[in-house]
Amino acid sequence: MSPLNTLLTALRGISSNALRTALTTLGIVIGVASVIATLALGNGARAAVNANFRFLGSDQIQIDQDLQLKNGQMQAVGKTLTYEDGLGMASVVPLVDRAEMTVSGSAKLRYSRQTVDLTFQGTDAGALLTVISQGQVQPVGWPSNKALTPKDFIGQGRFFTDAEVLDGDAVCVLGYQTALDLFEGDNPIGQTVWVNRKSCQVIGVAAELEAVSVENRINTRPNEGLFMPVSFAIQNLFDTEPWVTIIAHVTDESKMEQAKAEIATYLRQRHDITQGPDGNYADDFHMTTKQDVLGAQQQSAATFSLLLTALAVVSLVVGGIGIMNVMLVSVSERTREIGVRMAVGARSRDVVAQFLLEAVLLSAGGGLLGIAMGVLTIPIAASLNQGIALLDPNSVPLAFGVSLITGLVFGLYPALRAAQLDPIEALRYE
Amino acid sequence: MKIIQTENLTRTYVVGNSTVNALRGVNLDVEVGEFVALMGPSGSGKSTMMHLLGCLDTPSAGRYLLEERDVSTLTKDQRAAVRNNRIGFVFQTFNLLPRLNALENVVLPLLYGRNGGDMNQRASEALERVGLTSRAQHRPNELSGGERQRVTIARALVTNPALILADEPTGNLDSKTGAEIMRLLVELCAEEHTILMVTHDAKVAAHAGRILQMQDGEIVNGRPASVAA
Repeated sequence: MSPLNTLLTALRGISSNALRTALTTLGIVIGVASVIATLALGNGARAAVNANFRFLGSDQIQIDQDLQLKNGQMQAVGKTLTYEDGLGMASVVPLVDRAEMTVSGSAKLRYSRQTVDLTFQGTDAGALLTVISQGQVQPVGWPSNKALTPKDFIGQGRFFTDAEVLDGDAVCVLGYQTALDLFEGDNPIGQTVWVNRKSCQVIGVAAELEAVSVENRINTRPNEGLFMPVSFAIQNLFDTEPWVTIIAHVTDESKMEQAKAEIATYLRQRHDITQGPDGNYADDFHMTTKQDVLGAQQQSAATFSLLLTALAVVSLVVGGIGIMNVMLVSVSERTREIGVRMAVGARSRDVVAQFLLEAVLLSAGGGLLGIAMGVLTIPIAASLNQGIALLDPNSVPLAFGVSLITGLVFGLYPALRAAQLDPIEALRYE
Repeated sequence: MKIIQTENLTRTYVVGNSTVNALRGVNLDVEVGEFVALMGPSGSGKSTMMHLLGCLDTPSAGRYLLEERDVSTLTKDQRAAVRNNRIGFVFQTFNLLPRLNALENVVLPLLYGRNGGDMNQRASEALERVGLTSRAQHRPNELSGGERQRVTIARALVTNPALILADEPTGNLDSKTGAEIMRLLVELCAEEHTILMVTHDAKVAAHAGRILQMQDGEIVNGRPASVAA
């Protein structure tokens, strides 16, 4: 029989019992839909991890205070990671040529009768260099091929200097939107604003910024904020000494592990941490590099995809058995039809082709429905997962191919059973 | 030319520990254009004979030559090909596919052969020959018993076979309709078609040019029942 006629015959076969056919494919539909949706979750998580940790340069080590929850508040473990810890690092640790200290917190910013609640950043004078190396934000409309300098981030006035950071001077730089909100079009440079109850002179306003990646432009607000010298922030904006985050710049990217060991030795000395009886150190800080983050992400992605594979296999096997079941019923119901076809000249391979094609059409139909359902499910999955779900384009052909293979595998046995019928017996079948 | 030649055609079945001799060495010759009726009581071997002559089964011993070609040792697929273009079947219970209309039922054997050209045209001509052109688009359940049997005959004719095998073709029809079907078969025979018909009914058998009586797996009239005899 020609391929076209085989196809028409098979289509006729499955369309003759539409409800049963639809119910049969349900297993495949759900299996394929869950494959699409869960791969989208994995894909979304991967994209989110990439976006969140892209800021850490590959030559940077981020050092954070170890924290614990005590009386409902996060508190430092052991000794506090201080501004001074970072200040001495570059001169003592050979592989570190620069260390940046940052603190952040929330504050009320006031000028005249206007107040704004915002998150302030205490940084050193090189903060804009770090912003450039992070590559997350740029001045609005910046051409992608044009290099950035710290000056490009300043709209009016200037950023603070190393000397001002060392002295803890009361100066600050406002975000573009924050300046608009507070000064309503007046020139802020040289004016005095109040941060909580401390006065501070505005020396600059940032340029209008936007997220570099288009998909991040909705959920980031780079134009709201306040930059001030980290020393000033520590002395004036906290009741107790805050812990700082230190970003150590390593001179040689290939020696990150060695740099980590050197930093650990330096900090343990400053924090009086000695080796315990078990040979371990009870550190009160932890260090993160881009490689650490990527490694952890790859591991979790591998675990996740293993789970997904298991889920897909189970649901597709269930769907495949459903198809096998309905095809066996169909072969038995149509025994007489098979006998007639054999009597008028159908060979074994014609019968196999007809029933195998019916099974594959069933599973392919289920696969297409499942893909549609899976794609429609992604927004729901995203809403249950903090908005993190993104259709993986590879998952569509993959899921469809898997549904085809399921139909082939589970349709083979019923088709072979049909082809092995004895035409004499089949014609007598009631 | 001889359409059918059988030599010592034998078929035995093994049922449990015992063997049943359904055919005990049948010798039969049928010439082109003959209309042969095969009669006999139940269990006489008529059906077994029919299955062997229709290439639905293979003999345990002996030879069967269809159009002077030995078809008793063919493989399953080779037999399917012989059934497809050399043999047409007319069944007592019609055996039309219920979801296909008359024309599609008649086209069916052509689909399984190597047929180029306009298969629907050939099927239409076959339906015209049995007088059912106006019913081509009707499904079997919309047709009367006589019309269904005509569709079956058209399906048997459409590949222009060497041999038409009819198994109780009037068994499910009233006597008037049955007579019409017999008239059609006699006409086809006159057009050089060779027909071998199994029947219980002596009146039906009377339309045939030759009547063979079977008993206990042997033909008891006509030519000698075995080579040894």
